Amino acid sequence: MTLDGLGAAETASAIRNGDVTASAVIDNVFKRVNAWESQLNALITPLEERARQDAERLDRQVKDGKAAGPLYGVPVIVKDNMCTEGIPTTCGSNILEGWRPPYDAWVIRKLREAGAVIVAKSNMDEFAMGSSTEHSAHGPTSNPWDTERVPGGSSGGSAASVSAGYVPVALGSDTGGSIRQPASFCGVYGLKPTYGLVSRFGLVAFASSLDQIGPFARNMEDLALMLSVISPHDPQDATCVEGKRPDYVRSGDNASLSGLRVGIVREFLTDAVDPELVVAVRDTAAILEDAGASIVDVQLPNAGKAGLPCYYIIAPAEASSNLARYDGIRYGRREDAGDLIGQYLKTRGAGFGNEVKRRILTGTYVLSSGYYDAYYLRALKVRRLICREFDQAFGEADVILMPTTPSLPFRKGELVDDPVQMYMSDVFTLPINLAGLPGLSMYTGSSRSGLPLGVQIVAPRWEECRLLQCGRAVENALGPAPLAGGSDR
Amino acid sequence: MTKEARTIIGLEVHVQLSTQSKMFCSCSTDYIGAVPNTNICPVCLGLPGTLPVLNGKVIEFAFRAALALGSRIADRTWFHRKNYFYPDLPKAYQISQYDIPLASGGTLVIETEKGKKKIGITRLHLEEDAGKLVHEAKDGRLSGSAGSLVDYNRAGVPLVEIVSEPDLASPEEARDYVVLLRQLVRYLGISDGDMESGSLRVDANISRTFPDGRFGSKVEVKNMNSLAALEKALAYEERRQDKILKNGGAIAQETRHWDDGAGQTVSSRGKEEAHDYRYFPEPDLPPVVINESAIANIRENLPELPWEKEERFREEYFLDREEATLLVSGKNLAEYFEETVKAGADAKLAANWFRTEILRLINEGKFDPGTPPASAGNLAELLETVKEGRLSNTAAKDVWGKMLQDGCGAREAMKTLGLSEGSASGEKLRAIIEEILENQQEVVKEIHSGKDLKGKKLKFLFGLVMRETRGQADPAEVKETIEKMVR
Repeated sequence: MTLDGLGAAETASAIRNGDVTASAVIDNVFKRVNAWESQLNALITPLEERARQDAERLDRQVKDGKAAGPLYGVPVIVKDNMCTEGIPTTCGSNILEGWRPPYDAWVIRKLREAGAVIVAKSNMDEFAMGSSTEHSAHGPTSNPWDTERVPGGSSGGSAASVSAGYVPVALGSDTGGSIRQPASFCGVYGLKPTYGLVSRFGLVAFASSLDQIGPFARNMEDLALMLSVISPHDPQDATCVEGKRPDYVRSGDNASLSGLRVGIVREFLTDAVDPELVVAVRDTAAILEDAGASIVDVQLPNAGKAGLPCYYIIAPAEASSNLARYDGIRYGRREDAGDLIGQYLKTRGAGFGNEVKRRILTGTYVLSSGYYDAYYLRALKVRRLICREFDQAFGEADVILMPTTPSLPFRKGELVDDPVQMYMSDVFTLPINLAGLPGLSMYTGSSRSGLPLGVQIVAPRWEECRLLQCGRAVENALGPAPLAGGSDR
Repeated sequence: MTKEARTIIGLEVHVQLSTQSKMFCSCSTDYIGAVPNTNICPVCLGLPGTLPVLNGKVIEFAFRAALALGSRIADRTWFHRKNYFYPDLPKAYQISQYDIPLASGGTLVIETEKGKKKIGITRLHLEEDAGKLVHEAKDGRLSGSAGSLVDYNRAGVPLVEIVSEPDLASPEEARDYVVLLRQLVRYLGISDGDMESGSLRVDANISRTFPDGRFGSKVEVKNMNSLAALEKALAYEERRQDKILKNGGAIAQETRHWDDGAGQTVSSRGKEEAHDYRYFPEPDLPPVVINESAIANIRENLPELPWEKEERFREEYFLDREEATLLVSGKNLAEYFEETVKAGADAKLAANWFRTEILRLINEGKFDPGTPPASAGNLAELLETVKEGRLSNTAAKDVWGKMLQDGCGAREAMKTLGLSEGSASGEKLRAIIEEILENQQEVVKEIHSGKDLKGKKLKFLFGLVMRETRGQADPAEVKETIEKMVR
């Protein structure tokens, strides 16, 4: 059987049934990695040796009739900000040089328990700060659809890996759009769950009140499967809500969207957005309507206007505190100096890249006495306003459809020196983080220039099932996300 | 109006809570004497990706203190991050509380020369402890050390910070306040309250005002590792500040460190003053919603508080204040006393015995009232024998010593020491004396011949009788009987 482009659920059942070995699947992963990686640079740490050992163990269990797990033998790539025991976890930063976490993140544990094989740690913007995966100490990742362009970010390595068919599924993290924007740029599905659904234990923090781990996949069934594997309640994260999760895998079974009200935000469909993406939103609305949904107008005036400045106060503020621990004392890179302050300055000066420094400085500034009220406190108020605005909108609509990004994938280097323009790339995704809502970016076809088009759909908190159902309807109409460059690469 | 300058002191007391595990992880809090960096895990080490989960016991312990102090407990409270760089602070921020403390208000009543004085409590909040730096310099200080080592065993140990109003008017009052607070946390079983080992740490804010309206800025004094150091440091500050103010100078608002060896406070100007802690709400911990029924439950199960016990002892056992204060100074001591009385000992006699014998042994480190080497029943038996006059006080002490040594009862100890039941008096005493006089005829003759002008011979006979009776005889009776029988 051909392994290129095989989905996660299919892979797992084929291995469990003995149709293919886990080892053969891993061989195919590294065949594709070897073919693409010199162009893509999607991976920071490939784990070929470990993956082969894991696969051999799984194959023995198949022979012993002990094969079990929904992701049995499925190769998975995880963003390099998720802790993996004994395996370097760099966050795309020089400051974590040489650090090997002594523990697995919750999601890693859940993946392993489900039978998955972690085949690599993927490239990312340093500490997840960026929208292009260009701000990585490991060098930029390329978009598999056009290697001159960025894959989006900060989870660009994971998105590119799924798009290029290294793996059927991957994990990313999303603080302001870092799953959905690269999913859109790379033409795959990417889900940011409700804040508090998936444990952040072992996710190296960027902005604690916004960070959330989520999956990438090329089809909706795999996306739902990944969500069901990583989302059980974890007592190690006090912000992870207790209680049983719905059956995400079955949630897409009902093809009818009858009675579902889909909200459209007119002020998000202006000429500030690429016309092809505006059309993509309208076409997607039509698909949902065909499946039985009704279309309604909703307003989100503050989310669109105030979301970005609000985000760029709150996220850096939290980051400035979260990243203060990288002082060279306990782990990671250390630059010796004559005294303590000198050691701090040299270590952090050499260890962090410019974008990270920019955000640490911004965050330190907005929390400083004399500025706190004017910036941080006001941003918290605006955040509450945005939350209320979404609550209101969800009184009129069950889901809201909007662009994932205002533009198609941009060229490498195009925005790297223009941080504000780069930040604009997340204008439609970051309000969703501020409000703690679940958001899904769906592949909805290609632009005239052959680049992927993504559309975002958002639901009230804990209503991931609505997103999965809508995603399934879109997939039914348009087909699953294709492998970039065809399956013959 | 007093013409004297007045002292204004407010205290910030950090009390380490003696929960089994740390504030946000399951590591042991028992770091004293532990090998460095053994009570640590990824969470209290602040490793990337780790998250804090609040230990519910910490909240419960803090509630006990809040309720005992009569503080108002917030309906809802939360944590803040206090950001600063220091190698002993693994996350480079301390999880603490800021705008909404766990509890506010309350009082602690101390005894002063002028009677009871209410000291206001401003607030009570929770925070995590930091690790410890070990400097390689010979004097253990940072300056001049070649390098420093960090021990994170203490990092994440829960602390409750109890801030007083500036109601304390002298170093003595400050000391008394700390003594009472320490007694309280020990009664509540929430801390060992040991200043020397750092489980109770006191920072003081002190200023002086003069009757003519001159006043000095508030000075914060830190690093006082004992009650004596606290008192000395504050007395030193009074003198230092007065001298400056009398010479027309101004007191710098600053933090000063007490140098116990040098007996002075030293300015630690600079670094600490420049701190901007950039407090903001801790996003990793959801707000703590206070459960009324949990509070009620803790309130119901509060132990009798030291001042309540003292009051009761005075009423129930007719003790004077000094006695009662001494007996309740330790919870275990008070309980041991009460058990002894309940086992039949006379309260007044027992109080006296505790004040002299037991407190001495405690001070010598030979007696732990928590695990007394003599049971309350045995002690009661001894005191009863004394009360009935069957044992002199001196003999009782010997018996007590034997009881502690052998862990036996009073009767058995007396038997071992060869002390028979019943005291040597009356006919029995006369028989003993007669026998001794028989053997000391030379001495008796000398007394009769009037050579014992200074009474030395009589004293000699007295000593012989006392030795023979092993203190079972009443000295007055012995003296009287000898005098009668010799003449």
